[in-house]
Amino acid sequence: MDLHSIYNMKYKDYDIDHFITDEFFIQWIKKPTENNSHFWERWIEQHPERRPLVNEAANLIRSVKYANNSEFTDRMYVETFENILKADNHFRQLNPISPTIISTTPTKKVNSFFPVRGIAASLLVLFCLYAQYEAFNYKPELVEIPEVVLITRSNPAGQKSTIDLPDGTKIHLNAESEIEFPQEFSADIRLVSLKKGEAFFEVQKELRPFLIQTGKVKIRVLGTSFNVKMIGNESLQVALVTGKVSVDTENGSRMRLEPNEMLVLEDGGAFQKTGFDSKEVIGWKDNYLVFKTSGLPEIKRKLEQWYGVKIDLKGVFDEKWTYSGIYKDEMLENVLRGICMTSGMNYKINKKQITITNPK
Amino acid sequence: MIHTTKLPNNEYSTNYPLGHSESIKVYESKPDVDIWNAFNSGDEIAFNYIYRMYVTVLFKYGCQMSRDHNHIQDCVQNIFIDLRRKRGQLNEVQSIKAYLFKILYRELIRKSNKSKEEVHQYPEKIHKSFPIEFSQETKLIQQEIQQEKLERIQSAINKITCRQRQAILLFYEEGMTYKEISVAMDFSEVKSARKVIYRALATMKTLLQTKSENEV
Repeated sequence: MDLHSIYNMKYKDYDIDHFITDEFFIQWIKKPTENNSHFWERWIEQHPERRPLVNEAANLIRSVKYANNSEFTDRMYVETFENILKADNHFRQLNPISPTIISTTPTKKVNSFFPVRGIAASLLVLFCLYAQYEAFNYKPELVEIPEVVLITRSNPAGQKSTIDLPDGTKIHLNAESEIEFPQEFSADIRLVSLKKGEAFFEVQKELRPFLIQTGKVKIRVLGTSFNVKMIGNESLQVALVTGKVSVDTENGSRMRLEPNEMLVLEDGGAFQKTGFDSKEVIGWKDNYLVFKTSGLPEIKRKLEQWYGVKIDLKGVFDEKWTYSGIYKDEMLENVLRGICMTSGMNYKINKKQITITNPK
Repeated sequence: MIHTTKLPNNEYSTNYPLGHSESIKVYESKPDVDIWNAFNSGDEIAFNYIYRMYVTVLFKYGCQMSRDHNHIQDCVQNIFIDLRRKRGQLNEVQSIKAYLFKILYRELIRKSNKSKEEVHQYPEKIHKSFPIEFSQETKLIQQEIQQEKLERIQSAINKITCRQRQAILLFYEEGMTYKEISVAMDFSEVKSARKVIYRALATMKTLLQTKSENEV
């Protein structure tokens, strides 16, 4: 006997009290799904004499409402979200080593820092006085401009690299990407230029600001780690892991990012701040190949970039089909096998040429 | 790839934190246990999804316990802050909504126990929480007799206890299962949730019957 016939037997003798205490019935009234609608609609068809009873029960259930009005406005929605993320950062600063233990004595902590703050404040005053003195006595000098030697590094598809800059900054450069930087940074600025593709920066903290030029956008940081991805000429993604970053666009607007925030800039100047999944966005630098509900075109593009191969798609493919999976240091054949196993597609490898076919 | 959702106007679109329908796409078909585990392991998209799906209902639920909307907003905010801090050590959760309702309820009870000024009003306030409005939208039910029946039901509802009203609202307004109600109301057993609902309905039934008999 299947579940439905058991239910049918049970519901045959129902009166209204039974209906209004039955969670399966209430679920159908409040949150109809394919499954429960199918069942109840069929049941009513089979027991037409019970229809008024079902209607009455449904009406009773629908009539119960909260009496207190409340409106969670869009402003509250955004404000609350921002406060939640802000509290995160504040918490991290208070507890840099153990982010999971809640400080129970925050006031004490502040007190113990107080003398340090006082000293810092007086130093600041002294420095300001000194700076003012210097400004009055400033004489412009002729500075010899050294010749700048620029170095370009680029990766073809299928190859990633790590670059150590003279200031201690580390750059992970993804496949199909290109970056340019001076052999020696100048005395007051560290400027690199991402020509195309994607790079993850671990910037050495120091006084000279670190600037990344990407097309029309400048990214400005001190010490921090973050990911920059150029998608063709159309858009740019900046995902911040630690520290602080500000992004200057060509039309003069400046946006700041907090950790775990990602900025997406479209070519037309539109931009969005979002959260991000760190495996998905920066996993590549640790050799994680990540698909998250990826359609076939995205899979093809990622595999071509990751393994430096050409992929041909032959046959008709379901446009709604997506694939999710994570691979670390995996051979191409294993990845293809994983993707094709769940989808019923076939693949053929001929050196650098892959053919994916759909027999269906 | 990126869409702005929920926003009717452009006022916040520049700094809107959640213009990311990805989170909905990724998680809507997954069971709560998986979403919660992802959140626990630091997945920001899972957090984004949880916030989106539940912050509004959570606020609404809180407003049934206190009319101070700023206070409720603070409590809801603190709940999320606290959960984010405990990531990595959170226990498994079967129903995210029921779990969030539980901790909000606890937080509000704790807060109202703490605040000294309200000690005197406290029993009164709790007694008044979870008011129910019984109203039918169906057009068929506009006859005078039906209207009278509605009023009788409404007055019966006003006579059940506040815990009973809480359970009734979770059951009919929120569409929770008995299991979810037992979590949200902090019962150790599912059958306690059943008992509360049955008792509430039985009380109301008795009230309705005695009234109609009196009228006859």
